[in-house]
Amino acid sequence: MTIKYSALDWKLILAATLLTLIGVVLIMSAQHNASTEYQQNYYQRQLIWFAIAFFIFAVIVHIPPKLFDLLAYVIYGFSILLLILVLFVGTAKMGALRWFSFGSINFAPSDLAKVALLFALSRFLAYTKLPVASKRRLALTSFMVAVPVLLILKQPDLGTSLVFLVVLFVLWFWSGLSPFYLLLIVSPIISLITASHWLAWAIYFVLLLIFLFTIRPGLLFGVITVITNLAFGAVMPFLWNHLADYQKLRILTFLDPGRDPRGAGYQIIQSKIAIGSGGIFGKGLLNGSQTRLDFLPEPHTDFIFSVLGEEFGLFGALILLFLFGVIFYRAIRIAMHCRSKFSSLLVMGAAGIIMFQFIVNIGMALGFMPVTGLPLPFVSYGGTSLVLFWALIGFMVAAEARWQEY
Amino acid sequence: MSQFKLSIDNREKLSYIFIVLIFLTLIIGLFKLQILEHAGLAKQSENNRIRVESIIPRRGIVTDRNGQIIIDNRPSYTVSVVPAEIVKGKTIENLSELIALDTNLIRKRIRRNMVSRYQPSPVKRDISFEIVAILEEQYKKFPGVVYQMERVRQYNRQLGAETYTGYVGEVSENELKKIADAELHLGSIIGKKGIEKKYDAILRGREGTKYIEITASGQLVGEYADKNKIPAEPGSNLVLSIDNDLQIASTQAFDTFCCGAIVAMDPRNGEILAMASFPGYDANIFSSVIPESLWNEIRDDSTHPLLNRPLKGLYPPGSTVKFVGVGAGLEEGLITENTKYKPCIGGYQFGNRFFGCWKESGHGSLNAAHTLEQSCDTYMYQLGLKLGVDKLSEYYRECGFGIKTDVDLPQEASGLNPNTTYYDKRYGKRKWSIGLVLNNSIGQGELLVTPLQLARFFCGLANNGIVYKPHIVKKIQYFDKTETIIEPEIAFTLPFSKNTLKILYEGLSLVVDGKHGTAKKLKNEYYSIGGKTGTSENPHGENHSWFAAVAPLEDPEIVVVAIVENSGHGSEIAAPLVGKIIKSYMAKKLGIPLDEVDADVAQSGDSL
Ligand SMILES: [Zn+2]
Repeated sequence: MTIKYSALDWKLILAATLLTLIGVVLIMSAQHNASTEYQQNYYQRQLIWFAIAFFIFAVIVHIPPKLFDLLAYVIYGFSILLLILVLFVGTAKMGALRWFSFGSINFAPSDLAKVALLFALSRFLAYTKLPVASKRRLALTSFMVAVPVLLILKQPDLGTSLVFLVVLFVLWFWSGLSPFYLLLIVSPIISLITASHWLAWAIYFVLLLIFLFTIRPGLLFGVITVITNLAFGAVMPFLWNHLADYQKLRILTFLDPGRDPRGAGYQIIQSKIAIGSGGIFGKGLLNGSQTRLDFLPEPHTDFIFSVLGEEFGLFGALILLFLFGVIFYRAIRIAMHCRSKFSSLLVMGAAGIIMFQFIVNIGMALGFMPVTGLPLPFVSYGGTSLVLFWALIGFMVAAEARWQEY
Repeated sequence: MSQFKLSIDNREKLSYIFIVLIFLTLIIGLFKLQILEHAGLAKQSENNRIRVESIIPRRGIVTDRNGQIIIDNRPSYTVSVVPAEIVKGKTIENLSELIALDTNLIRKRIRRNMVSRYQPSPVKRDISFEIVAILEEQYKKFPGVVYQMERVRQYNRQLGAETYTGYVGEVSENELKKIADAELHLGSIIGKKGIEKKYDAILRGREGTKYIEITASGQLVGEYADKNKIPAEPGSNLVLSIDNDLQIASTQAFDTFCCGAIVAMDPRNGEILAMASFPGYDANIFSSVIPESLWNEIRDDSTHPLLNRPLKGLYPPGSTVKFVGVGAGLEEGLITENTKYKPCIGGYQFGNRFFGCWKESGHGSLNAAHTLEQSCDTYMYQLGLKLGVDKLSEYYRECGFGIKTDVDLPQEASGLNPNTTYYDKRYGKRKWSIGLVLNNSIGQGELLVTPLQLARFFCGLANNGIVYKPHIVKKIQYFDKTETIIEPEIAFTLPFSKNTLKILYEGLSLVVDGKHGTAKKLKNEYYSIGGKTGTSENPHGENHSWFAAVAPLEDPEIVVVAIVENSGHGSEIAAPLVGKIIKSYMAKKLGIPLDEVDADVAQSGDSL
């Protein structure tokens, strides 16, 4: 079962490596003037984590995806057990997700659950004989997602729960769910996301109309899609803006009890100042005053993109977007290329997880989206998340290396 | 539906379209910030800081039932320091000189009240306008020093209403842990006692947040125009059941005495009309930082001004609870309306001990109603022995003694209603004399009540046995103009039949109306009044003087209970005091000038 190194997707590996190294540089810059040596050395620890993550990646590349396919439900069951167990014996920091602590190493079972759910859903959708839009198929897959989501909601974390939903939507889509359902589910959500900028929403809406016109799905379906998109993109924000501010606050706090509105507003203002002041070419490495004056809380995790925007400007930000673009492009190519249905779904789901955190994190730094605390894949400081994302890259590379296998 | 199944090629196309859309959105966002808004944001990044400031909402106003002010706010200035903007050797030193606070104390207060390094941390509240003027003129001398207009609580001092208003103060770290409210942070002002505490969340409103842009030298640029601003939500107002006129009359009537309590209630619904604890204190002193010397003075005062006597003061009720024993006897069939016990010869021989009646010359033979009228102890001793400790205690409990009233005020005591279990625990099993019931039957011994409990009991007597839960907040007026009216709630019914209640009520009226009534001085031609005197023995000094009154007897609408500590007999001290309060209430109701209502001068009779 050896694999040829020339068969590996080196473009993908290179993009992920560059993103990780950019992350290390930004972490160093963000914590350059930090008060403690521990903080100043964050970047060194990130480098060590990179070595660990790369090792795990290399191991995964050598494992045939068929094995994950066979063990999918076992791993899924195991991760559910861990999620239940962590409710009883886990430790929680500041009301956030629960961890297992092994000495100095913390392990959040919700990260494993992301991968486990990805396996289980991919296996189910790859072999099921149920028609693509049948109620049973939709209900069963929804149930598979609901179990871990409900367990995670007990340790309130909106961001992580949404990642699970994203995996479901992406895999529904990639297993060929009819556009009726898909667009009905996904397009209003995009409307809602883009609605914070009227221009973004207008562009999206025009493209949606063009798309509808091209695929000609029938009058009823077309009308319903347009109406729901108008509702989510135009009417909801309108209603939202007519709520009193304290009412908005109550709804947001209800949806995400861990958020700190006072801090969040401040962070978004500072992030926008940091990015905006970077201009086209940025202030240069270690020259970001906004990060320097530690106006940005947690610049090495949540707001790492703001550091990039300030120090390397639009130019640096576009390079980062390009590298992510390479990852998404390669993921789609691999998913199209490989013969195993399971591998194809696995790769798309993995791309979906990366894509979602990418959108939410950068959207937050630009002030489009609420502060959620999801890290930017590969770039943000954090050992477990780096390992998770490199594992996802591992699945992609492994799938491509064995694309002929069913 | 299968014709809608998406072909693999279409899936691929759709994926690319989605990714392009997302990237376009992000690039538009970057373009907007880094090209279009670059100049402005770059300037802000270089020169200016953003400071987070709380918008403190107006704390709700508290009025009496007629809309007269009990608590309101007055404007004042608070000086704060933004920790991130402190310049070493300048900020704290100059400020210390200006507001005459020690530099270490300033540092301590900054740390104690710090929410974040960019948010002003209050140092001193209620500073003078001269200081504000200096801070405004010489802002360069005080980098990081901020003054904010805040409203300070103002309590109507004339009322003597501290016992229910309570006061406010800076939240302590302990309270922060206990109160689960994300809005609270160090430096927040919260209610510490009374309705300020009980209704804190309603009165306080919700803090807002604004972002202020300042230059590096500390000059204000303006409010940061951003949708992230969170406006404050003003606190809601409370309307109390209190009648300020009656409250003032009560406080004035008590003027010549030292310590005690007054509770006035409406028996028809449990509303508290007036309530006061003596001596009181000035709740306003807690509004700004209270000097330690003043605090020590209040705390060490031997008259305990901070003790909330109506709710927490525990006293033996004395003869005021003789209604319970008589009622129990009637209910249990031990006596009838006309039963007469062994005549009172000035006391009662029990075993080898003689238990005295307050009237040494003796009362002779009395029936139930006249026992209450003249407050004969001998009758009660004999009845108490027949009832026994536990039966009597059970009736006390069913009349609400030893149980919290659940009034909408914090920190209430439940009192003490001893029974066999209690005595066994205290003295050892069977190691106590059955004679203890003799004390209990005349409201002495271990039995302890709060003035509010006693008022609640008399409300029951005045309201055909139906006892309402005492409450003080009548209405909550929310800032959006909606209202919640607090409906009266029945707490329990006295354990007495209609007939029993009639007999007890007759006794109550005889206390004022009867030839030998212990409070017959209160009799007058304008309105009817009934009640009960009480004198509770106090091992540490003079007796406590009680009086509980009901008026008007035909259709009772007010119950007043007063205790004057260490002052003497109920009939001599508390009865005329309560008489004055009821006079003020009835004169207002009947629309006649106060001085015209002169109690009929009756010959000073037997007294207790
Ligand atoms: Zn007697």
